Amino acid sequence: MERRYTFFRYAAYSLELLLLFILQSTPGLLPEVYGGKPLLMIPAVLTIAFMEDQIPALFFGLAGGALLDLGYSDNLGYYTIMLTLICFVVSFIFRDYMVVSFLNALGFTSVITIVLVSLYYLFFVALAGRGDLMYFVSHYISRFVYTIVCMVVLYFVNKFLFRNLREF
Amino acid sequence: MRDFFADKNRKILAIALSVVIVIAIMGAGGNPWVSSAFNFLTGGLSKVSAAVSDAADEKSYEELVEENKKLTKEAADLRTQLVDYYDLKDENARLWRYYNITKSNPDYQILPANVIRRDSSDDFYSFTIDAGTNSGVSLQDPVITGNGLIGFVSSINAVSSKVTTILSPDMQAGALDKKSSDSGIITGNSSYCDKGYSVLTKIDANAKIKENDIIVTSGIGGIYPANLIVGKVKELRYDEYDATKFAVVEPYENIRKVRDVVVLTDFKNKGEVKKASQKEAK
Repeated sequence: MERRYTFFRYAAYSLELLLLFILQSTPGLLPEVYGGKPLLMIPAVLTIAFMEDQIPALFFGLAGGALLDLGYSDNLGYYTIMLTLICFVVSFIFRDYMVVSFLNALGFTSVITIVLVSLYYLFFVALAGRGDLMYFVSHYISRFVYTIVCMVVLYFVNKFLFRNLREF
Repeated sequence: MRDFFADKNRKILAIALSVVIVIAIMGAGGNPWVSSAFNFLTGGLSKVSAAVSDAADEKSYEELVEENKKLTKEAADLRTQLVDYYDLKDENARLWRYYNITKSNPDYQILPANVIRRDSSDDFYSFTIDAGTNSGVSLQDPVITGNGLIGFVSSINAVSSKVTTILSPDMQAGALDKKSSDSGIITGNSSYCDKGYSVLTKIDANAKIKENDIIVTSGIGGIYPANLIVGKVKELRYDEYDATKFAVVEPYENIRKVRDVVVLTDFKNKGEVKKASQKEAK
């Protein structure tokens, strides 16, 4: 019985990721705020990793990262590798050292989002000569805020799924 | 290192990361197999995404009504602009014709005019133009278009003038065949005016005039300038009564439908015969 609900929970996570991918990659569905759109996959896989074991967290991180990369190009890359690794580590930390709470989740998501996206900007935009500091301020700050705001909703959705598809 | 991989979870992490890195490197190298697999996997998602995007673009009834109002107004504005455009296009074409007339005849003083009325009781298609003595028009001034002579000013007032066409028997102008130099009088004829033809009468019996020859004004008499095109010879005939030869002339302009014309208010040698006769009288 336990295994059956785990399957449904993972299926619900997968469906959630697909829906978020469509929401994120479809023009006109999500309004842009100051030129930025949220990176929904980051808070989605992180909130899953806060609650799940390391292996499922790893694979959902991989899936979310892959979808994020595929939204930009035809290949796996930066986000796939980073989110796989980060979700694995986050799951490890929250299983053994920290309590899953909204504030902890908010703090982790904010820091990870800012670091992850800033590194992306540094390696793939700034060093590639495709943008300057002004571009970062005008596009990326709004993206951070937008992504973190979306995390609030995703946290409670995934918490609901985790609790209701487990306790039978 | 061995301790690190002793944990089962870490082994799986290492394997997963290795697979991802290998796929990423293969894809970055332009391996079509990897790209094709990704495109195949994401093809369905793209279709869903496109369908959702189309649905998101659908507008509500109120938005459609508002858009319809806006488009209707835009269409009305564009129609007005189109009418203005056609007017300007016509005027431009007309001005170019006038420009060409004065360019090839620098001695011409021209006055563009519009046909404002046609006399329905006149069998010879006379018409009234919107230029009179106030504009500098005089009696007997030749009236032309870019295609040649079409008539003369037969009556006049301050603001308008009546033009008698070359289809009317009242028209009497010296003309000649440009090729053979045979001369005659260009005038109208009731038998041919309905077809829009004029006739060249008083042609010498031995004249070499032929069909398709071009007829121009001779300039003799000083009423019409020389070399104004009248038309081309449609056919040659003999008058049954006086056995003289005449030519049916087809004007290059459709005189029955002409809308804008030019009045030649002055040209070189205008009124020479009149001046000469006045001198003789003195």
